[in-house]
Amino acid sequence: MNASTLLVALLPEHLLLAGIVLLIVLDIVGRAERPALSIALGAVLAAAVAAAALAFSGYQAEPFPYELAVDRPASIAKAFVLALALPVLLLARDEASGRPFHVLVLSSLYGACLIASSQSFLTLFLAIELMSLPVYVLVLLAWRRPESAEAALKYLVLGGAASATLLMGAALLFGGSGTLALSTFSHALGSRDPMSSAGLALVTAALFIKAAIVPFHAWAPDAYEGASVPVTAYMATIVKAGVLLAALRLFNAVPVERPLVDLLALLPLVSIAWGNLAAMRQPTFRRMIAYSSIAHAGYLFFALLGEGSGRYEAVVFYLVTYGLMNLLAFAALPRGVDGDGWEDRLDALKGLFSRRPYAAVTLAIAMLSLAGIPPLPGFVAKFLVFRNVMDAGYTLYGVLGLVASYLGIYFYLRVIQLMFMSPVGEAQALGQERRMALVASLACLVPTIAIAVYPDLVLRLL
Amino acid sequence: MADATLLNLLLALPLAGIALVMARRRDDDAGIRRASLVVMLAQFVVAAWLYARFDGTVAGLQFETRVPWIADWGVYYDVGLDGVNLLLVVLTAFLGPLVVAGSWTSITREVKLFHAMLFTLQFAMLGTFLAQDLFLFYLFWEAMMIPMFLIIGIWGGERRIYATLKFVLYTAFGSILMLAAVIYLVHSNFNATGTLSFAFADLVQGELPANAQLLLLIAFGLAFAIKVPVVPFHTWLPDAHVEAPTAGSVILAGVLLKMGTYGFMKLGFPLFPDATAVLTPTILVLAVASILYGACLALVQTDIKKIIAYSSISHLGYVMLGLVSLDLIGIQGAVVQMVSHGLTAAGLFLMVGMIYERCHSRELAAYGGLAKVVPVYSVFFMILTLASIGLPTTSGFTGEFLVLLGAFGAGWQSHASGDALPLVAACAAVAGVVLGALYMLTFAGRFLFGAAKAPHGTPTDLDAREKAVLVAIVIAIFALGLFPEQAMQKTELAARAYQQLASASRVDVASRGLAPRASLVKAQP
Repeated sequence: MNASTLLVALLPEHLLLAGIVLLIVLDIVGRAERPALSIALGAVLAAAVAAAALAFSGYQAEPFPYELAVDRPASIAKAFVLALALPVLLLARDEASGRPFHVLVLSSLYGACLIASSQSFLTLFLAIELMSLPVYVLVLLAWRRPESAEAALKYLVLGGAASATLLMGAALLFGGSGTLALSTFSHALGSRDPMSSAGLALVTAALFIKAAIVPFHAWAPDAYEGASVPVTAYMATIVKAGVLLAALRLFNAVPVERPLVDLLALLPLVSIAWGNLAAMRQPTFRRMIAYSSIAHAGYLFFALLGEGSGRYEAVVFYLVTYGLMNLLAFAALPRGVDGDGWEDRLDALKGLFSRRPYAAVTLAIAMLSLAGIPPLPGFVAKFLVFRNVMDAGYTLYGVLGLVASYLGIYFYLRVIQLMFMSPVGEAQALGQERRMALVASLACLVPTIAIAVYPDLVLRLL
Repeated sequence: MADATLLNLLLALPLAGIALVMARRRDDDAGIRRASLVVMLAQFVVAAWLYARFDGTVAGLQFETRVPWIADWGVYYDVGLDGVNLLLVVLTAFLGPLVVAGSWTSITREVKLFHAMLFTLQFAMLGTFLAQDLFLFYLFWEAMMIPMFLIIGIWGGERRIYATLKFVLYTAFGSILMLAAVIYLVHSNFNATGTLSFAFADLVQGELPANAQLLLLIAFGLAFAIKVPVVPFHTWLPDAHVEAPTAGSVILAGVLLKMGTYGFMKLGFPLFPDATAVLTPTILVLAVASILYGACLALVQTDIKKIIAYSSISHLGYVMLGLVSLDLIGIQGAVVQMVSHGLTAAGLFLMVGMIYERCHSRELAAYGGLAKVVPVYSVFFMILTLASIGLPTTSGFTGEFLVLLGAFGAGWQSHASGDALPLVAACAAVAGVVLGALYMLTFAGRFLFGAAKAPHGTPTDLDAREKAVLVAIVIAIFALGLFPEQAMQKTELAARAYQQLASASRVDVASRGLAPRASLVKAQP
């Protein structure tokens, strides 16, 4: 390990750290208020560019052997995650989110980046915690109302349980193999040793809790509803991406065998079905998106059933398109609908098209893509996942998953129905259009359409 | 190369239409309508030009473009014309301007969105017909659903939301199973040949085991049967038709329903010949059930739109009958019947829309003696009614007659080898013709003759715009009725290719232990 490797290999993380330090220093000096957004945006953008540059130059290194490794897939994943964080920051511009907001987001992103590079349970655990801990605060930060505190506490407790489960699983795997390397997980996939199997199951369960897979999903609707819009968007996109990147690191390219296959297929399958069914009955937009994210977590874990080579492509492509869709939806949501209390109800979307055509059309595109209706990117992502599952020989699971995904069409279309087909509800003021949210929605809409027209744009990179 | 450009231009025009409409101000209704009409007419001109240039003596695809789209997956942007989709493409492009003109006064809300959706629908429909790559086909197939969802849901009648959700949930269910089948089909083709391809031309050559074929045909067939719709998957259709605005009904009856029969013809039967042989009796029974059940229900309806909706189910039963007869004449009859039904049903729905605009009622009982009140309207209505019944010299006659000829031909053949079912089906289908005459004439009799009455005062007769729309349709109906050989000459080779592919397995089915009924009986001493 030499200094230049250390500098270059972790350049995206270093840039994020520089942003954090700068923000804290300015905060101490007392001038953080105005330039905070530009500094955070600049840091994330620079980090994303750095990650992309590392990826395109094919840079490969192990700054800390057996702990952290930087390779092309990791750098690509980082670049995408960081790029997805940009609209989140833009969204936050219009929220009354206190000063620590940007520092917390940047630290959480630092954790998400580390996940993509981690090589041992030690770094993986650190990275996941680094990603999650700021989010507990973020949930609490924006709205000082009782529900937020409750949501944050619930999220914290379940997050803690997930960490404990992960540690216990790692300990068992360590006990069986004597090493903390992540490869013990993929080795254990093929072994019959009860200790390794128990470790395997616990680590998988920890991932399920973090990703809100049924039956570990109960925290998600409350947390999503309790948090402010940008934080909800952040949880739905970046945190989910981080967890799935961790899963990718763990499962690597090793084929999953029975009985884990059934665990890995059944719980996500139940998640897809239950998430889609429960979403139909939600009165508020964010609870609906929470249940939709439970279903989407199901699709994402389904992708791990596929053969090794296609997993990375399927998961990362899904994460990118799913993230774009969610951010697009949240960016398009007009103020007044995303507000506090009763205004959060779906009914507030009634007749939106006649009042805000652009917002309604954008939101409709996001909903259709989330429902996986062609030719939008969500379809290509879904196709990729199910193709891999069926290619690996799990035809029945593939068909069941598709049928379960059918259940989701109704509630996405209901949003469109409310916006386009219902008359405007009780006189309700829509707030000012928010400039930054508009920029954020454009920043998501353009890549969405680009991917729809030419999916190879992203697929070629993976 | 220049030829391929023409076809791509046809697909690009609806997109240009969307852009043109979007560029206009939201309240510039007249400008939007004019611009839409111009683009739709241009589209028809291009389609007509393609029709004229299409060479019926050359087998295979013409005007084809094939460029890689998602390279790693073997997905191509692959569009081309064969004889069958040629006619349907011309039909789609022909109905485009009529729909715009027909909605000129009846659509007053959200005119901009309406026309943008019409163009989206045109794009998806043309794409579905033209696609020669399964992935592309699926994309366009699904993309049709959303604009129709909005057209029914926004500009529809009172129960529009129920109707449109029912329409979407039915079609989406079929599509999701079809998606599973697409993935499985391509995957097993990849395992067998080692090349990943979605091209129809490659998939048709695959040799799948008969059991897999059966499941795949059921999955594909369900999607298509819902679209056609074949009884018992038809319950969404009357609701959708009744609640849809005129434009929605016209496109639904004129083009969208043909997607199902076209799907069977392009994919279902040719891809899975073994399964087709096994399922032929079932499909025959369902086709005849559609013909008779649709006709019987049409006979007892009190809502004008529902009569035409149920008559559509009946008429598309003939198409299915012709396709499954696997007799060249029957197949060509099915193609002509598709176009003919597209013209007559579209015309009838337009006419119902015109009277609804004046009298705001769809109750048959509320009308009577319109022949005295609106003579021009009544003449057109009578022509369309007779074309729908299948009076000689109209397109309806050509279609139904050829289908029945083919069905009887196939029936005699299998009767000779001991299977009476196809012959019985053909006889029952003839009963359908009589029923068809019965319900349409009863309908026209009550509607046009007798004591003159109409809700909300005396309606005015047709204006120049409406006459122009109907004249175009009537000309097309007679052209196809009097000179069918022109169109049939262009479709013949494509129909022959379909016949060969779909009946490919008849010979060796017995050796695979999955004999169709005909050969089972024959094998007995």
